[in-house]
Amino acid sequence: MDAKHLIKRSPLRVLEDSTHGGPGPGGLAVLASPKGVGKTACLVHIATDKLFQGKAVIHVSYSSRVDYIMTWYEDIFKEIVKTHRLRDSETVYDEIIKNRVIMNFKQDGMRTGQVLRSLEAMITGGKFDADTIIVDGYNFGLAAPDDLDRFKDFARRMNVSIWFSASLKETGGEMFGPDGTPVLLAPHAGRIDVLITLEAKSDAVEIRVVKDHDNPPAGVLPIRLDPRTLLIAQEK
Amino acid sequence: MATTIERMRNIGISAHIDSGKTTLSERILYYCGKIHRVHEVKGKDGVGATMDSMDLERERGITIASAATSVSWAEHRINIIDTPGHVDFTIEVERSLRVLDGAVLVLCSVGGVQSQTITVDRQLRRYDVPRLAFINKCDRVGANPQKIRDQLEEKLKHNAVLMQIPIGLEDHHQGVVDLVSMQAVLFEGDEIRRGEIPPDLREEAHRRRNDLLDAASMFSDELTEAILEDRVTEELIHAAVRRGTIARKLTPVFMGSAYKNKGIQALLDGIVRYLPDPSEVKNIAVDQSAPPDAPAEVVLSSDPDAPPVLLAFKLEDGPYGQLTYIRIYQGRIQKGTELQNARSGQRIKVGRLIRMHADHMEDIPEATAGDIAALFGIDCASGDTFTDPSCPYTLTSIFVPEPVISLAVSAPDKRALDRLAKALNRFSKEDPTFRTFVDPESHETIIQGMGELHLDVYVERMKREYNVEVATGKPQVAYREAITKKAEFDYTHKKQTGGAGQYGRVIGYLEPLADGAYEFVNQVKGGRIPREFIPSCDKGCKTAVKKGGVIGFPVTGVRVVLTDGQYHEVDSSDNAFQAAALGAFRQAYAKAKPVILEPVMKVSVEGPSEFAGAVFGSINQRRGVIVSSIEDGSFSRVDAEVPLSEMFGYSNQLRSLTQGKAEFTMEFLKYGRVPAAVAEELQKQHAEKRARETG
Repeated sequence: MDAKHLIKRSPLRVLEDSTHGGPGPGGLAVLASPKGVGKTACLVHIATDKLFQGKAVIHVSYSSRVDYIMTWYEDIFKEIVKTHRLRDSETVYDEIIKNRVIMNFKQDGMRTGQVLRSLEAMITGGKFDADTIIVDGYNFGLAAPDDLDRFKDFARRMNVSIWFSASLKETGGEMFGPDGTPVLLAPHAGRIDVLITLEAKSDAVEIRVVKDHDNPPAGVLPIRLDPRTLLIAQEK
Repeated sequence: MATTIERMRNIGISAHIDSGKTTLSERILYYCGKIHRVHEVKGKDGVGATMDSMDLERERGITIASAATSVSWAEHRINIIDTPGHVDFTIEVERSLRVLDGAVLVLCSVGGVQSQTITVDRQLRRYDVPRLAFINKCDRVGANPQKIRDQLEEKLKHNAVLMQIPIGLEDHHQGVVDLVSMQAVLFEGDEIRRGEIPPDLREEAHRRRNDLLDAASMFSDELTEAILEDRVTEELIHAAVRRGTIARKLTPVFMGSAYKNKGIQALLDGIVRYLPDPSEVKNIAVDQSAPPDAPAEVVLSSDPDAPPVLLAFKLEDGPYGQLTYIRIYQGRIQKGTELQNARSGQRIKVGRLIRMHADHMEDIPEATAGDIAALFGIDCASGDTFTDPSCPYTLTSIFVPEPVISLAVSAPDKRALDRLAKALNRFSKEDPTFRTFVDPESHETIIQGMGELHLDVYVERMKREYNVEVATGKPQVAYREAITKKAEFDYTHKKQTGGAGQYGRVIGYLEPLADGAYEFVNQVKGGRIPREFIPSCDKGCKTAVKKGGVIGFPVTGVRVVLTDGQYHEVDSSDNAFQAAALGAFRQAYAKAKPVILEPVMKVSVEGPSEFAGAVFGSINQRRGVIVSSIEDGSFSRVDAEVPLSEMFGYSNQLRSLTQGKAEFTMEFLKYGRVPAAVAEELQKQHAEKRARETG
């Protein structure tokens, strides 16, 4: 299979179709789950899908080391190559990876303003025409009330979509509210355009749309995160 | 007095630029009592540190050549091999590492693990060199040794353990708490004062000592028992730390300020205590006489009575002639010992044998296994192995990267030309990554090396040491050409111009070769081409790959498969088949969709985060791809892949963009395909050049 077919056949199209095209330019999306369920794998798969489409991605990380993230991309790419029997994979990888930049910030004392300044420097100073920004490991627990506003404003100004991951912890009470929105994200819910939760089931990870812009959410999707390949796949 | 092998240490000092490596070396020499005045690297007295023996190094404040210097400390002989700090001189670093048994990794207490620290650490790892860390510049504003220890763990994956904690930092840095003896050690001028741990540091000292004991006890059951029974001795800790260090599973961390004379003596104690003596390091040679199917690797013995095996690791042209630095791996040598050069087969007799100190040389009667010494009047190249004529060993060769940049040089007159020839001959012997040749078409003398700075240094040395004011051309990138698809050939070379004719026909194909530069495969059956002419075909193709058809640069990654052909009883000859193969290659090459490849460098830029935008822009401008950016507080590092052809003048641009506050390093990463627009431009230039040459 070649890259064009691969994009068309990707299970991520289901995700897009179920969320009215995803966050879209200027929009924010959040992928939430407890630790270890597969948020990073999902985000890297979403980013790789964008890269296959020739779009540019900035991957922001707070905690992980850069080489660790690069390995994530290589692993997810390898799985895609295996699953879809992609031709000439090395050349394709060399080509698409040029459109990815990893920006690593130490969160201690690293304020949103500074992160956004550096992102803007990359996009305008570095002339890096980003389509999507992946923000992995953002600590919503420590986020100031207006932090998401600033991200939203930035996404609009730069015409990018931003995907966050949110790590959910049980804090004595319930993890999710009555409508499925994680309690941790409740204060920010108004600013989030697309909210997706992941839930580990016995054989796969269930993907649920909790918020879809102003539309009624689609609920559990007919796609799963395969814990073996860590790829998002169509339900069998 | 001869030093026994247990009391020898061969060490290197490795660091990022400006971590204070040369100052540290200088202080080590000073405290070992060999030199009496201490000069700064960029000294006001204009003398410069003793280890930097070349004028040029003094001027630039960097160390280029690896001088081996012998000092004594606590009844041990320490040979210090000063390794260069710039990536452009990586071959020098690699060659020094080959002869080291241990190393001190110097880190700045503010900058910590920087891009080049990562490079040198990787090199040390490749040669399995055990290391100590020394966190220098504890007197600097923002000094934080604990943070640097954490970086050693996070970024370099060292099991780094503090042997000391600082007493005061920045302006108040006075000394350290020794976590083994649990004493305060204060450095006052040349004196050391030991005393009680200051009350405010006691709690931390106990905590850190427990960390140290935890880490060290992994390497000694005896220590573990002693901890449980509360009878830990200093000797037990030393022995355990030594074992862990030599196994490269533990990195003891020392600290201080070389510039302010703090912490040097304790570091020297650490070197003799924890780094291995030569007999504790496994050295491997290759037995040239071994049959092809038998294992050829042999472990050398540090027995002084075994046949001598030694490596010439550094040549230096001094005021008294050529000096060859050697490391003896096995046996002993004395004046008159007969040795054979394993590469050339040439036999030599050891003449004057000396030991180099920082400021003088000492004649020595003999040198034994483990030692580093120097020989006078030996003709050899750097990296040659010398052995007893009965002992057919070679030391495994040092990895030599291909040069990526070239420069045309010319001398002003005939006399200067002779001196230039001498200089070029010398440099190419000293440094295998420095190459020189005369371009057969332009008749220009070309020098090649690993980067702009690398060649700059040699051009400077031509001026200073050989008094040749060379004129240089524009630096040229070493492009390559490669084919991207299979293409067939069927070519007949035929000439009949009176006398004997020439005839040869070759049939076959070219195809891309993934791992390797060139391969020739003969599949001709039934004598369609007589056997004696097959090597002629190979030779013809080899001539063809030297100059590709796109822009005249060497072709890499090609397999030639010869499947069929024809010959003539009378007219076929070696020359005829060479010409046929050359023609065939060129015929098929054009059809095989050839592309131009260019060297791509891995570039790291480090500096204050406020300039990140400017740095991103400068890389984008130069066709670079930013791989990552890491921000840690106000400091950031950008890693990128940039074509070498775009890196000329980058240091100046970076300086002006960042008010001199950012620095960069680069090293060769890979050959990458040039974009179509650039390829077109290169082809145009090539066509113009050819038109000039022929017209």
